[in-house]
Amino acid sequence: MLTRHVYWGMFFSRMKLLEVWNLSRLPYKEVVFRSIAEERGRMWWGGFGRGHLGGDAQNDHELTKKALRIAKFDKSLVAIFNVLAAVIPFMAQFFGSPILGLTSAIALSLAVTFGFTALYAIQTLTSFISPESSALLSTLPLEERDFSLITLFSFVRSVDYIAVGAIISQVAMVAYYTMSPLAVLVMFAISAVNSVLAVAVSLWFARIFTRNLAQGGRSRGTTILRFLFILMWGSLLMGVSLLISLPWYIVPSLEMSLLSSNQLSIMLFCFLHPFSAGVTIANISQSSIADSTSLVAAVALVSYVILAGFAGKWIMSTVKRISYGIDFNISSVTTKDFSLKPHKPLFGYILKDLKIASRNPATAFFFALPVLETVIVSFTIANFEVLRASMFLVSTFMGGVFVLLMPLALLNAEGTGLEYTKTLPLNINRIITSKTLISTLTYVPVPLVLLVMAFLKSLSSPLILLIPFFVILAVASASIFEIQLFLSCVTQGKINAILHDVKKLVVGVTTLAFPLAAYAIIYIISSNHLFAVLALGGASTSELAIAFHLLKYNKNLR
Amino acid sequence: MSAPLIEAFELTKQFGSVQALTGLTFRVMPGEIYGLLGPNGAGKTTTIKLINGLVDATSGSVTVDGFDPTKNPIEVKSRIGYVAEKPILYDSLSTRDFLEFVASIRKIEEITATRIVTQLADAFGMEKYFDAPIATLSMGMKQKVALIASLVHQPPVLLLDEPLSGLDAKSSRLVKDLILLHTQKGGAVLFSTHIMEVAEHLCTRIGIIYQGKIVAEGTLDQLKNKTGNKNETLEDLFLKLTNEETEVADKTRILGDVFFKNEAA
Repeated sequence: MLTRHVYWGMFFSRMKLLEVWNLSRLPYKEVVFRSIAEERGRMWWGGFGRGHLGGDAQNDHELTKKALRIAKFDKSLVAIFNVLAAVIPFMAQFFGSPILGLTSAIALSLAVTFGFTALYAIQTLTSFISPESSALLSTLPLEERDFSLITLFSFVRSVDYIAVGAIISQVAMVAYYTMSPLAVLVMFAISAVNSVLAVAVSLWFARIFTRNLAQGGRSRGTTILRFLFILMWGSLLMGVSLLISLPWYIVPSLEMSLLSSNQLSIMLFCFLHPFSAGVTIANISQSSIADSTSLVAAVALVSYVILAGFAGKWIMSTVKRISYGIDFNISSVTTKDFSLKPHKPLFGYILKDLKIASRNPATAFFFALPVLETVIVSFTIANFEVLRASMFLVSTFMGGVFVLLMPLALLNAEGTGLEYTKTLPLNINRIITSKTLISTLTYVPVPLVLLVMAFLKSLSSPLILLIPFFVILAVASASIFEIQLFLSCVTQGKINAILHDVKKLVVGVTTLAFPLAAYAIIYIISSNHLFAVLALGGASTSELAIAFHLLKYNKNLR
Repeated sequence: MSAPLIEAFELTKQFGSVQALTGLTFRVMPGEIYGLLGPNGAGKTTTIKLINGLVDATSGSVTVDGFDPTKNPIEVKSRIGYVAEKPILYDSLSTRDFLEFVASIRKIEEITATRIVTQLADAFGMEKYFDAPIATLSMGMKQKVALIASLVHQPPVLLLDEPLSGLDAKSSRLVKDLILLHTQKGGAVLFSTHIMEVAEHLCTRIGIIYQGKIVAEGTLDQLKNKTGNKNETLEDLFLKLTNEETEVADKTRILGDVFFKNEAA
């Protein structure tokens, strides 16, 4: 395997790139194992597919294999989403949108894949931001160049499927629509640039987050900074909502902006990534844009390629510094004040949950959910003058579905720390209540936004305003059921783990949908909002009663 | 005579096809330090987890201060200070955040919590690490955080699974003194260790556990009497009682071959 000889189990010599790539699997495995074993770095569906990792009976080899399988599953799933995100803008007309111009399709495809890649990378790279991942390698007599390449490749492995999937699908789409080799070549280059920039942004975020965490302290500045990061994550999450809203809202507005006669807005679009790519490629294949505009877009495109070159160099040097453990120092602040401020047990647990979830990059952006819900709900009903019950039902359901991910994320954020909690004199219901309260609170913006909208627009019936408020009860019940299921059993085997997680989400979604369905059915039968609201209220209150009843039979946490 | 603080009777635990414990019986009285000694996989950690109510026994019974961990888990956990072999804490919390969380769950008054934690943190030299995230602490520092957390509610029973691993000499000495002070106050300590010298000097009684059974129990002198050689160290005794003496001799011979018969390639 190696070009030269092996001595005492250690190897030295300059290695071929393929050897370096193969060897990079080792630190990658270490990163994956660490992130999965600590339940960090999982994707935003929380503990999806969470199997039994860390059982005493399993040996290290089995655990590593399992961790790699989980990571591959996560990566593959995101890669599939990413490919879909890359392709959908080109086929927007199939989703009820007007035919989308090539410029907008390319721009949207790049924007959404940027969002997905960054979103995934930001969560997995936090495990990478530690010299421990290459601690074993550093004991081997490797040349500096080989060592750096191995760590760089192990880093690349974290996003390989996702970036390759996006690049291939975007290039294929451009090839299909333009039949121009030059356009294909430009698309390939800009798609690669897009991935490099996404990873650079994620690495920057992850690094700052980890540095922030490592340097600790109780400063107000740290807290504010963390809050800003969470908000920024929220904006990255908008990539997902962008995809959802794409056919109905984004495409028409984008097309209108691009076709407008306002030269300033056109120039601005041409200068901004990813619109510059869209304009340039569309111009190569159709030549329908003014020369000055296409020149600005082409110059901007070249600038982004150069920027990606710098970003690539920065990634390499940062990865190198990380692997040598010289990226940042852990500061320690001497304190003489050891005072503690204990709270009531439930509030203490909520506070702990909030702290660990907001400090875990994989879950921190969940605190941006209220912002996301506000945007989704506003988008859904913004274009209508009269607000009807159906709009309220759809928007409350959409807002609620996002919240269903929160309990799983909160449980996931507990990580191995839950083992410690089990040793405390704590009733399991306190854990469930804490997570349910936090999850339910993130739903509260939905009824508030609808309330504000109700003041701005007309309502088909004032009674429909009660819908989102009753759904708060359904959200709380759904959270309780999900957490109960999560804590009730640890599954063995990947298939069982996935089935168990699907069960959690199905139970959650059904609990949320049931009162809304009750409303719809009663209204269809009676055409009376009062009866429908009563049915909704009855259904959601019954669900909460069942949830509380189930809590009574909970055994102690073990 | 006072009642035992820990009492295990005919404890059996089966994990699938693996019999982890087979009829384990012992008791720890107030003021006693009971050392649980055994090779890896003998069942020490399982025993401690059973006492703490973290796993259920297949058969047999265990009580802590008269409470059954299966029926009264909250009562039992309120009476126990537990330090796991590998302290698993909330890495993203600072030591202060973590101890505040523990004090909140254990319903400790602010004044009491601050007083105890100040004394312990000062003793263990936590000044530089009190506001640092646990993730950044060394193994020894994490062990100290776990120890402080186990003592913050002043429990009558301490369950310490390898409590000295990762600690420096000063802290190790402090923990030993702390264990002695705890028992002087009437508390009970059950701790597992691999360090024979510690068990030899610290424990009131020692239980040697092997393949899920207590194969010998008593004070050091009582154990020595069992083998009939008063000059033997606890390590010799341990290896003899766990039938590992011959195996160790064989392995040492193999190690000799590794060093002296293999030449570098």
